[in-house]
Amino acid sequence: MNQQTKLNSQGQEHEQQQTSAQQTQQASAREFATPEELLRHDALHTPVPPTIAQRLQESISKGPAQARPWWKRLLGGSNQ
Amino acid sequence: MAERKSSDAPQASVRGSRDLKTAVPAAANRSDAPLDALGESEFADLYTEHSRAIYYLALRLLSDPQKAEDATHDVFLKAFRKMHQFRGESSWRTWLYRIAINHCRNLQQAWNDRQMLTNADEAVWENAAAKTDSPLRVLETKELGQRIQAALDGLPHEYRLLLLLVADERLSYEQVGTLTEQSPDAVRGKLHRARRAFAVLFQQSA
Repeated sequence: MNQQTKLNSQGQEHEQQQTSAQQTQQASAREFATPEELLRHDALHTPVPPTIAQRLQESISKGPAQARPWWKRLLGGSNQ
Repeated sequence: MAERKSSDAPQASVRGSRDLKTAVPAAANRSDAPLDALGESEFADLYTEHSRAIYYLALRLLSDPQKAEDATHDVFLKAFRKMHQFRGESSWRTWLYRIAINHCRNLQQAWNDRQMLTNADEAVWENAAAKTDSPLRVLETKELGQRIQAALDGLPHEYRLLLLLVADERLSYEQVGTLTEQSPDAVRGKLHRARRAFAVLFQQSA
């Protein structure tokens, strides 16, 4: 009897889980009129790895100094 | 020439804004790189505003997150070193895209095959039109990105690039044409076929 109750309980839980999963799927189903809309959505939800900025900062600090603008070179100045 | 902008563009509000760090959507800031890492500079603003677009383009062109990360780093480093060459003849976005496209093209050794379309390819996609004229209905799962990548990978490079650029609402057809070296009309024509091809491949990836 106890086993039957337990099975019933498990069955109900299983049904609830299925219903919940279906609801989640229904809630998250989306339609996109064009591939571009889908790509736009995907891009918005694709995070940029934070390590890129860190690496960039390191590369910039290690790398050669930024070249002076052409108009500064043209106007002269000794601090080349 | 702003012929295809819509009000729901997620990044449209930041165009031309000097106060980028507050204008960029909060969700973008959360997931993006630490903004202060590059210092309070115009370059940091440039990175904040455009890194998502450049990373996404690299990710979908190279089909590899690590390569995309490396490419994004290299593109912005190149941009930093060439900033003095920027004359304002194009937008920063277009300038960065050009660097990114060239960089990714160099990385893809297979670029030289140009992946020319065959009549057979076109026929397959044309015949599948009935299925693809309906909207793309998707479930937002972890696999969505993989399905998108699989569909893009199946496209000729030109179509893939076209779709990715047109998906950026901050680019006009004219700018997309400049970046892909063709007229806006050619962009429109190819876009139609690219959409159809993508839809077929996307449905197959389900």
